[in-house]
Amino acid sequence: MASYPQEFRFGNFIASIIWLVFWVLLIVTLVALPLIFIILFYVPLPLANGEVLTPYLFLSMVVDPTRTLPILQFFMQTDLFKIAVFPGFTYAALIAAVTIFVERKFLAKMQLRIGPLYAGKIEGIFQLLADGLKLVSKEIIVPSGADKPIFWAAPIAFVATAAAVTALIPVAPGWVVADLDVGIVAVFAILGFFPLIALLFSWASNSKYPFIGGLRALHQLIAFEIPFILSALSAVLLAGTLNLSGIAEAQQPYWFVLFLPISAFVFYISSLAEVERVPFDLPEAESEIVAGWLTETSGMIYGLIQLGTYIKLYALSAIFVVLFLGGWSGPQIFPQELGPPGEKTPLEQMLTLEGIYNPGTANAIFWFTLKTFGVIMLMLLPRGISPRIRIDILLHTGWYKLIVLSFINIFIALALVYGGVFGPEGILTSG
Amino acid sequence: MAEETVLNFVPILYMLGFGLVAAIPALVISRLISPRRRFNPVKFLPMECGQMPSGEGRSHFMMQYYSYILMFVVFDVMAIFLYAWGASLFSLPRAATLPMMAFLGIMFAAMGYALFLSGRKGIW
Repeated sequence: MASYPQEFRFGNFIASIIWLVFWVLLIVTLVALPLIFIILFYVPLPLANGEVLTPYLFLSMVVDPTRTLPILQFFMQTDLFKIAVFPGFTYAALIAAVTIFVERKFLAKMQLRIGPLYAGKIEGIFQLLADGLKLVSKEIIVPSGADKPIFWAAPIAFVATAAAVTALIPVAPGWVVADLDVGIVAVFAILGFFPLIALLFSWASNSKYPFIGGLRALHQLIAFEIPFILSALSAVLLAGTLNLSGIAEAQQPYWFVLFLPISAFVFYISSLAEVERVPFDLPEAESEIVAGWLTETSGMIYGLIQLGTYIKLYALSAIFVVLFLGGWSGPQIFPQELGPPGEKTPLEQMLTLEGIYNPGTANAIFWFTLKTFGVIMLMLLPRGISPRIRIDILLHTGWYKLIVLSFINIFIALALVYGGVFGPEGILTSG
Repeated sequence: MAEETVLNFVPILYMLGFGLVAAIPALVISRLISPRRRFNPVKFLPMECGQMPSGEGRSHFMMQYYSYILMFVVFDVMAIFLYAWGASLFSLPRAATLPMMAFLGIMFAAMGYALFLSGRKGIW
């Protein structure tokens, strides 16, 4: 039963809110405003639509519909937009959030249950919001004897590392945060950090179940890292480049999954092991070792690790799409311009996003998101239908079967290159 | 392809930094608004299914599957070396594939022998 403290008075409550407002105003006036002016004094202001973008101009352009579009156009070109919003963090976190809800509904339907129902009028769509509020407002319990700095830092590092993987994913032509020539190798390099973070966290929490879970995460890395790397190699062989955008462009008419089905299968299985999902969720086997390396997590620490896991799930599905399902390619379904043709009033121009809307890019984003979501659903599927496998069978599968399977497809890829199907003068090479 | 510099990798660090910027406030806000009741020391004990924990949390633990770990160190490096060959396959002469196949043959003979030996001696 919730009860108010003894000294609760409504007047005190109002007074505390007024105090809070007072402090916020004081800090804004004394610290934030001078800071903004100092920054504006030293930072060279950018050009938008041929004019120097001062704060006054920015505000007047935002409220005037006829002049808002250039400013949007300008901000969409900046690095900050790419990192914070579109191919970067917000897009990934949004897909992760949708995945969490869809997973619960999807698994429930598969097992003839209903799933989340009560939060929100329609099918429990506010369940995620309710869960988030619950996680934020729960007490974080650090077990006694834990290594406190690592215990607090590991969830943050987990989310940040997952975000760093999404930086390498090309969502549409030119829409990628870091377009590296060694993109796929960089992906493997960053993915190698996750078992280390799991092991660090489990060691820091000074408890036995997390420790066993952390060691299992390490074993999973050992079993599945090599098939994971080798199955991506056959796509690299056919594309002739390590750049992820280059690999996506190389499969313009024919997707690589047509030539490399075994590699795609091995990559899918190894990705399941990388994101620690059923049937490879040994590090957090909830029916064997309480919750594995997540046993001592509580409140927002658990929330952050879940967020990181689902961002990682998005990243691996997106890499599957880039390597085997043709990236962003798909039939053009978006019209050349939004809205009816002809002269437009300024408001209509703004509503139809004139100057920002690009049918090719919109199409690419649509198909990429659709395919990625399809692969995510495919990765969610085994959780409803499959039991967990034993750890020695896991290692045996990884070393004896998956490595051999991925090599079969590497030789098929080599035969395709030397048989003149792919390569510089291949019959199926695009462009 | 030759202009790859350290600067191309900086956006990844920005993204990492943005992840930090997004995750740290979540923990700070949670710490600010969540209750803190510290009068019961039992709840800070490590989780052992309701029992009083016995022994150290960080104890000696038998690291199983040791031979796989040893093999992993070698074959992970081999797998990454294959990428250097795979990415430049189009510009290599065809005869250059033969040494590569010999390399793979040596590696896999060694791997098969290691798997066979560790299986026979039961040193998992």
